[in-house]
Amino acid sequence: MLHYYDPSTQSYEPGKSGLNPDFDSFSRDLGTPPSLSEELVSISVDGRDITVPEGTSVLRAAALAGINIPKLCASDNLEAFGSCRLCAVEIEGRRGYPASCTTPVAEGMAVTTQTGKLAKLRRNIMELYISDHPLDCLTCPANGNCELQDVAGVVGLREVRYGFDGENHLDAETDNSNPYFSFDPSKCIVCSRCVRACDEVQGTFALTIEGRGFDSKVVASQNDPFMDSECVSCGACVQACPTSTLMEKSVIEEGQPEHSIVTTCAYCGVGCSFKAEMKGDQVVRMVPYKGGEANHGHSCVKGRFAFGYATHDDRIREPMIRDSINDPWKVVSWDEALAFSAKKLKGIQAEYGRESIGGITSSRCTNEETYLVQKLVRAAFGNNNTDTCARVCHSPTGYGLKTTLGESAGTQTFDSVMKADTIMVIGANPTDAHPVFGSLMRKRLRQGAKLIVIDPRRIDLVHTPNAEEGLHLPLRPGTNVAIVNALAHVIVTEGLEDQAFINSRCDTEAYNTWRRFIAEERNSPEATESVTGVAADKVREAARMYAQADNGAIYYGLGVTEHSQGSTMVMGIANLALATGNIGKEGGGVNPLRGQNNVQGSCDMGSFPHELPGYQHVNDQAVRERFEAVWGVPIDNEPGLRIPNMFDAAIAGSFKALYVQGEDIAQSDPNTQHVEAALKALDCLIVQDIFLNETAKFAHVLLPGSTFLEKNGTFTNAERRINRVRKVMEPVAGMEDWEVTMALSNALGYPMHYNHPSEIMDEIASLTPTFTGVNYDKLEQLGSIQWPCNDEYPDGTPTMHTVDFPIGKGRFAVTEYLASEERASRRFPLLLTTGRILSQYNVGAQTRRTSNSDWHEEDVLELHPSDAELRGVKDGDWLGISSRVGHTVLRAKLSTRMLPGVVYTTFHHPGSGANVVTTDNSDWATNCPEYKVTAVQVEKVSQPSDWQRDFVDFDKRQQALLKPAMSKQENSHATTLK
Amino acid sequence: MSDQQLNNLIKMLDQIIANNLHHGDDEKVTDVAADHLQKFWARSMKQQIIAYANQRPDELSILAKLTVDKLEPAVEV
Ligand code: SF4
Ligand code: SF4
Ligand code: SF4
Ligand code: FES
Repeated sequence: MLHYYDPSTQSYEPGKSGLNPDFDSFSRDLGTPPSLSEELVSISVDGRDITVPEGTSVLRAAALAGINIPKLCASDNLEAFGSCRLCAVEIEGRRGYPASCTTPVAEGMAVTTQTGKLAKLRRNIMELYISDHPLDCLTCPANGNCELQDVAGVVGLREVRYGFDGENHLDAETDNSNPYFSFDPSKCIVCSRCVRACDEVQGTFALTIEGRGFDSKVVASQNDPFMDSECVSCGACVQACPTSTLMEKSVIEEGQPEHSIVTTCAYCGVGCSFKAEMKGDQVVRMVPYKGGEANHGHSCVKGRFAFGYATHDDRIREPMIRDSINDPWKVVSWDEALAFSAKKLKGIQAEYGRESIGGITSSRCTNEETYLVQKLVRAAFGNNNTDTCARVCHSPTGYGLKTTLGESAGTQTFDSVMKADTIMVIGANPTDAHPVFGSLMRKRLRQGAKLIVIDPRRIDLVHTPNAEEGLHLPLRPGTNVAIVNALAHVIVTEGLEDQAFINSRCDTEAYNTWRRFIAEERNSPEATESVTGVAADKVREAARMYAQADNGAIYYGLGVTEHSQGSTMVMGIANLALATGNIGKEGGGVNPLRGQNNVQGSCDMGSFPHELPGYQHVNDQAVRERFEAVWGVPIDNEPGLRIPNMFDAAIAGSFKALYVQGEDIAQSDPNTQHVEAALKALDCLIVQDIFLNETAKFAHVLLPGSTFLEKNGTFTNAERRINRVRKVMEPVAGMEDWEVTMALSNALGYPMHYNHPSEIMDEIASLTPTFTGVNYDKLEQLGSIQWPCNDEYPDGTPTMHTVDFPIGKGRFAVTEYLASEERASRRFPLLLTTGRILSQYNVGAQTRRTSNSDWHEEDVLELHPSDAELRGVKDGDWLGISSRVGHTVLRAKLSTRMLPGVVYTTFHHPGSGANVVTTDNSDWATNCPEYKVTAVQVEKVSQPSDWQRDFVDFDKRQQALLKPAMSKQENSHATTLK
Repeated sequence: MSDQQLNNLIKMLDQIIANNLHHGDDEKVTDVAADHLQKFWARSMKQQIIAYANQRPDELSILAKLTVDKLEPAVEV
């Protein structure tokens, strides 16, 4: 068996990060960003020769030569600023002492970094800094990790001649308003690293240096407390600060960490790499990892700060069972819980047939976990009733991209956006839902790329500070296909197509059919204007902006997929990229922004009922035979039930048991009352989760899940990047999730034996053509791998379809617009659309159990002031929202982000019941629910809805049934199978 | 089988057909729709819609009926 870092068996070696040594090269700060020039320049630094790209700073060149020049205001993720002067050097033939951070190398330059004069100069500078700095180093939270301290040591500061009694800032008050970090200006050296981090890395521009000289100080927004400012708590400034001025509260409380392990964020589809910085088995802080290819050392408020849920009191720590959902939970051993589950599942199959049970995973699970669950369903349950929550988000991406491009995945790396000239964002809100990628996009926009936003709501990205305003096409919800057709119509009829690309790379017949269709007048912007609500000239402008750019890139989200024509829209997007030749090159592409961390992975791993891992259809006999040979059992050749089909079958009485790993269908799926009825109809619901989530309240077996910090595995992000998840602490109940699935399978009589998730990955690689080259050793070596990774692409594939498509030629698809059945009417005159916000994540089970709730305590209904006025509604009023399926009550928030007639809410809090109102309309091809369009009426009310009252009662009852078990588990230790 | 389950199947089938009408004549459209059901519908769903089409042939649209007819031989019931 391979050996990987395991905190329980390996001790920390100083200087190693708990990983292979290669990762350590990223822990050095080289002072200024790399230069991308291809021209090389040679210089000598203190007699050492070094060759670097033109444009590199002397500071960085010296660092690369192994010489560390003292510095304070420079950092290699920020543009050099040249304010502290500590990095002064002498350069042969030049006068004075130039700052090495702002001086670029020149051929033949001879640099000296240490002379008596330089030493004196540096000491003088430090003396000035220290005279206005508290000398409480021993009790300072940065002690042991403070650049100011280090530099004072390096320059040999021995005295401060000015004394400490002069005018100073030592009494400045600390701002503790942010729940995660504090700002203590008495320690500030005004190096402006925080300001530049907020501007350049995050792109929020929340900080400025106010005043001049001695009076200059860092302020947030208009001198507001951080919490009231524009700050979005990404933490980039905290990471940039060389002193303890900006400091994580967790470090203030717990002290500096002593070892770290690199792992992957378990929130959104960006898949940021983090160093979990630890003290023993306690996470002190999460620091975004510079070597992470998806995030390059940046993060958002969720990944960096919202990890406290892992140790929350609500964690389920022991297995529990009960016969009926009205019984109290009984704590039992793993053996008993698994035997109980196996007996129920088998009994149900004996009575109701092989197809009466199934399993669902979540995109929050690792690849290895989702692979095992679908294997359990196919091999141990003997049917194909396996599905994943991607059903309700990106299943149309799978269908649409496979049909047109031949592979169910985005085509680019995130970094590709830095080469895009026009960026089109459709139905996505990157600065909230994919924040680190949102920041990268903003960086590119500041460099001059153009932006088109197609969304009913005016998202923040439209206005990016220090960039040109984006072109916003505020379409009516449900009219996506009409607008994408109008864009394509302009491209075709104005001669903006890339004929060379089309001729060489696309199927001619499909193209000709599509072209005839799209050129029809009824698809023109003028003809569709009355449908979409977007002025024809704006559509024409957008089409030209996209098609005429050297590189045009499309990014889309759930605003594309969660519609009755979600799959059609995905194909429409692929058509645009094919028609303009924006496929197979950097800076272009079709990029689905996946909501959750492992949406891509859970789809890749065969979670869908019609596909085995690697999108191989179950009715393909050759494929089945390969799996059957390894799994040792026959595989059903018919697709299984999808999640909504399972609900219908449960209500009809033919579907009786469900194993749910990590997913909260009761909160996240549409038409809550329908879902609740289905769950109540089950004879056996097995929920494996970290908390008693909404679904678990209907369960008969509760198997404790493990958080991403407690297990090994991999996640695959939205750019197909497979990243390692590394265990930093032991699972609370003794078993990692994959071990639980394995144990359940063994209890059912289908043997599974793996010693480590790496062995599961080896099996995946042996059965999945796009994964044949993936293994944990290679992941350790390369850090991450973008699939396809096989003999053809041994190190993975950053950009897809560069030469051909998996289906040979690209296939244009005819995308006829059909209006959704969900239309505004006299009874329901408004259209409700749903979405997400930055601080909360999906159903909120994790983020609601952290201080992230300080930003978003409740879901609200955003409505346009004119709709509000018509109904006599003011900000903060309680509003009843009714659709044809349900009714709920939320607080009103007036907003001009949407056009009149459109209202908006989020679904992060279960009691809000956003999904009580959404209907079970769905995408024609995949059954992905139409969350984004629900016709509603809104009126002022004075009390919660009936559903909300029932919800509160049911919740109380279920919490009461759990309480005795929870207090018991506090007193006992987890029993394990191991 | 509940009414609601059946209604959903019929609604889904109609939706699949509506989104494939652009394929031209009835023959082509129902080929594509039947192929879609073949690939994505569970065995039980196919069986239910086939049983319904047999019992009440008049209650499905013409194209829906044609689609289901094409399905029948392909399913091992
Ligand atoms: S936390 Fe992020 S957004 Fe807030 S001030 Fe710091 S860098 Fe700016
Ligand atoms: S808060 Fe920190 S990073 Fe910002 S100016 Fe002060 S010392 Fe520099
Ligand atoms: S939530 Fe997304 S953007 Fe934020 S740290 Fe995690 S992976 Fe990165
Ligand atoms: S590090 Fe160069 S001037 Fe501060």
